[in-house]
This record gives sequence, structure tokens and C-alpha cells, in this order.
Amino acid sequence: MRLAVVLIVYMAIFSLLASLIPQSQDRSFYAAHFPAPLAWIITGSGFSAFFRSPLFLVPAGLFFINLAVCTVDRFLRELKKQERRHGPDILHVGILLLCIGGLVSFEGRQSGSVLLSNGDAVRLSTDRVLEMTDFAYRAYPDGRPEDWTSTVRLYSGSKVEIPSYAIRVNHPLRLGLLSIYQVSHEIQRALVLQDSQGGVHSLARGEETQAGEASIQLLDPGKPGESASVRIRDASGERVAKLGVGDPVGTMTVAGVRELEFSGLEAVLDPGFPLVLASLIIAALGLFLTFFQKLRSMGVTTA
Amino acid sequence: MSALPTLAFLLIILSAIVQAVFLFRKERAADPVSHWLAGLAALLLAAVIATRSVEIGFPALTGTFESLVFYALVLCALTLAYRLQRGLPFLPLVQFGATLAALALLAVSSSPLAPRETLAPIPALRSGWLVAHVALSFVGEAFFVASFVASVAYLSVHDVEKRRDYDRISYTSVAVGYPVFTVGALIFGAIWAERAWGSWWSWDPKETWALVTWLVYTLYLHLRLIRRGERADAGSLPAVVAVAGFLCTVFTFFGVNFLLTGLHSYG
Repeated sequence: MRLAVVLIVYMAIFSLLASLIPQSQDRSFYAAHFPAPLAWIITGSGFSAFFRSPLFLVPAGLFFINLAVCTVDRFLRELKKQERRHGPDILHVGILLLCIGGLVSFEGRQSGSVLLSNGDAVRLSTDRVLEMTDFAYRAYPDGRPEDWTSTVRLYSGSKVEIPSYAIRVNHPLRLGLLSIYQVSHEIQRALVLQDSQGGVHSLARGEETQAGEASIQLLDPGKPGESASVRIRDASGERVAKLGVGDPVGTMTVAGVRELEFSGLEAVLDPGFPLVLASLIIAALGLFLTFFQKLRSMGVTTA
Repeated sequence: MSALPTLAFLLIILSAIVQAVFLFRKERAADPVSHWLAGLAALLLAAVIATRSVEIGFPALTGTFESLVFYALVLCALTLAYRLQRGLPFLPLVQFGATLAALALLAVSSSPLAPRETLAPIPALRSGWLVAHVALSFVGEAFFVASFVASVAYLSVHDVEKRRDYDRISYTSVAVGYPVFTVGALIFGAIWAERAWGSWWSWDPKETWALVTWLVYTLYLHLRLIRRGERADAGSLPAVVAVAGFLCTVFTFFGVNFLLTGLHSYG
């Protein structure tokens, strides 16, 4: 337990210092804001990214091993007692699982964000496609955002897997280890293209779409009344072109440049999700079991 | 409705005055009314929260003013509960210290640091997990206030009997506050962050300070376990750590909000 105490003191003091020193900045930032020797120590020791550096990870690893040994030792000692108290063991198992889950999440977490307007679709995996069927933005009378709702449809291959789901802030779409979050809302000028069947496709700045054999990427939607700049890749090579209303591009035609509402969605694939969730539940149960048993033994009651 | 916090403030001042008078009397008898005055103040503060909640259509706990009012409310309720309980020794100084803390919180809530404007929450803050996160964090921290007062008293007296009583109050307060704070500040906070942003933990300054606070109280509990094995009295070190833990909660709330920036800079 003495090693645990030393490690707790170390992690408390260094975490505290790390919260006061800006993290993950360039070397030039520390050189400009700190005396040269201190800037050298911060960047050279890894303190500039403390929570990802050996300065934190090694003591955290030692803490994990120490806690694992203590948990097994304590559990075995409790088994020999008449009146057993396994609350601390459950709490410690929760913390151990949390460390493992955190590590799995740290190593395997992937995320990416996308801006979608009504009718846009994005491929989530080889067979899953997410289509946005509606986006609603509600604001308070003072103009601050109240809620953003992206109603989506999920296709698995050619089948509809989820006909309709409303993704809101604090209400993500869960697809196993993959979750889709509502993160932002933007109004952007977008290039609107119409295909031969009358279908409409909107392109935000930087987005790309296929028009038959040609791939079209919007570079700049331009100001009102101006042409949009696009990069076109097709069999004849790659070129930048200016497009106006009615211009053909691949199998599509430019319908115009419009201001469209875009919903910002973030997809997160977190293999540590179930472990972290389970660990939090176990830790909470362990905590309350520990302290209810303790308080009962101390005889705290109200009149 | 804006008179309610002022009325509560006056009641708490009155409660503190009554307690102070009885603290300096020789017979050391507990006063008969101060806890009821604090209880009444708690009701008024609850009415403030309820009114603002109705106004914005959501539990009003997300702004600095509301957080301070809620924190003071819990402290007032805690002083009442402490006075009514029978399992622990009643130490007037602990009640007095907690009352002064409630007074200080309400004083800050009426300052320009805590705008009174009633604002409905932005989308990320419209979450039941957030409400539970904030509420339980402050409930836990209210117990840490009691532990802080008892620890300061412990460190400033020499009478063995009194030290034992203060130590018991400090330990019991942490024993109750620690699980509530852990679940509220860390566990519910992490669940909320995951649902809102897709990340359990971001090493935001507020999160880091909440973790530091938790580590300090974890240290307190472990030091007591070690020291209990060596001697009957847990000694001064855990009391010093309890004081440090409370100072961490103060910095987590005020220091991070006003000095550092991050995801929690709105509340």
C-alpha cells in the first residue's frame, strides 16, 4: 500500500502541473513562453504531452500492477474472515478494468467527421451507408442553439438496416463499437449538381463526388454570382475548372451554388467502449458497497 | 423571485450569528434555532433552483450562479442533517464552518463573477447525465467542506478527546462524500462526455483537477488505513491531506472556471 501511496502522490502532483502547463504545443511555443532551461525540460522529458508520455504511463502501469497484486491479496485475506467485505475488491477490479479499457481505447480508437446536408450519404464500412434524410436546427429566441437533429437512414448492402433514427447531441447512434455523434451545424455555400435522373447532389468545400467516370471535388464555391472552382479527375487526367449554372460535368449538370445547412457528424470506433462502460458500473457498485458497509459499521444514523 | 437568494443569505447570516454567540458562551450548549434557519435557507434556495428550472424548461444547474446556489443549498441541508443525526458527536465548530462556507458561496453568487441571467442550456448541456454529474459533484464536495472544517479544527486543538471527535467527523464526511463525488464528478461526468462528444475523458483542465481531487481523497483514505495499523490516532497527516483535498475542490470550481480554459469553461 505504501507504493500505491507514493504513486498516487506522484500522479496527483504531476497531473496538477500538467493542467497548468499548456499541453501538445509546438517546441516554439514553450521556447517563447518559458525560460530556455524549463522549455528544454518540458519538451525533452515529454511533459509537453504528459498524459501520453512515459512520465505518466510508467507510473500508471506500476499503479496497475500494484493494484492488481493488492486486490488479489486482499480478496484472499477476506475469504478467510467471518464477516467479509468485498466492496474494495469490487472497486479495485473496476479501476483495473478501467485501466485496461482506457488502454484499449487509447490504442484502437478511430474517429472521423463529416458534413452532410439533406439527401447526402456517407459510407461507414464496406457494406454500410448512412444517408441523411432530414436535418433540423432549433434555436432559442436569443439565437443560441437549442437542438440539432439529424434524421438518418442506415443501409446494409442494398437492405435498409435502420429506416429512421434521430441523432441528436447526447443521443448518438450506436452500431456495435461504432457510434455516430451529432457535433455541429454549419451553413455553407455548396455546389449543387443534378444527375440525369433529376437527383440532386450537394458538394461542400473539399467534398468529392462521382459523376459517371469523372470525380469532382469542390475547391471553392465562389462568391454569389461567381463561378465555382472544382478539380475534375477523369480518363483525360486531372484539371481545375470554373463551373457556372448549366455547365455539364461528367454525367451531371451544375444546378447552382446555394447556401445549405450542413450537419456535422462524428463517427467514433472505440474498441474499449464496452470495457470502459462495464468498469464504470463495477467501480460505482464497489464504491457504494464499500462505504455503506463502512458507515453501517460506524453506526451513523439520523434522529 | 430575485429576493429569494437575498432572503436565504440573510437567514444564513442570522444562523451564523446565533452559532457564533453560542460558540463563545462558556456553557457550550448547542443553540436551538441556527440549524432550522439554515434549513429554511435551503428551502428558499431550492425554490430559486426550481423557479429557474421552470423558466428554462430544464433543471437549472448548468450556470455558475445556479451551481453556487445549489452548492450553498446542499451545505445548508447538510448542517441541518448533521445537527439532527445521532450517530456522530455534534461539534458546533463544524456546523459553524459549513455555515460560513455556504455564506461565502452565496456572496460569490451575488458578485459579477456569477451572472444571474437565466439562460436555457446549449445542446451539449441538455442531458440528464449532466444534471446528475453536477448535482452529485456538489453533494460530494459539500461533505468535503465538513471534512475540511473538521480537519482544520483537528489541527488546531491539542485535546486528545476533541481531536478524536474531529477526526471522526472528518473521516465520516469523506467516507460519504468520496463515493458520491466519484460517481458524480468522474463516472457520470465520463458517461456524459462520451454521449455528448464521443470521448470518455479529454484531459481538460477541469477533468484533470477533478481527478487530482479524487487522488488526494484516495490518498487520505489510504493514509488512514496505513496509519490506523500503526497507532490509535490517525495523526495529523490525513488531516493535512483533507485540507489539501478541499483546496483542490475550490480550485477545480473557481480556479479552473476563471483562470484556465477548456470544455468546462461555461460552468
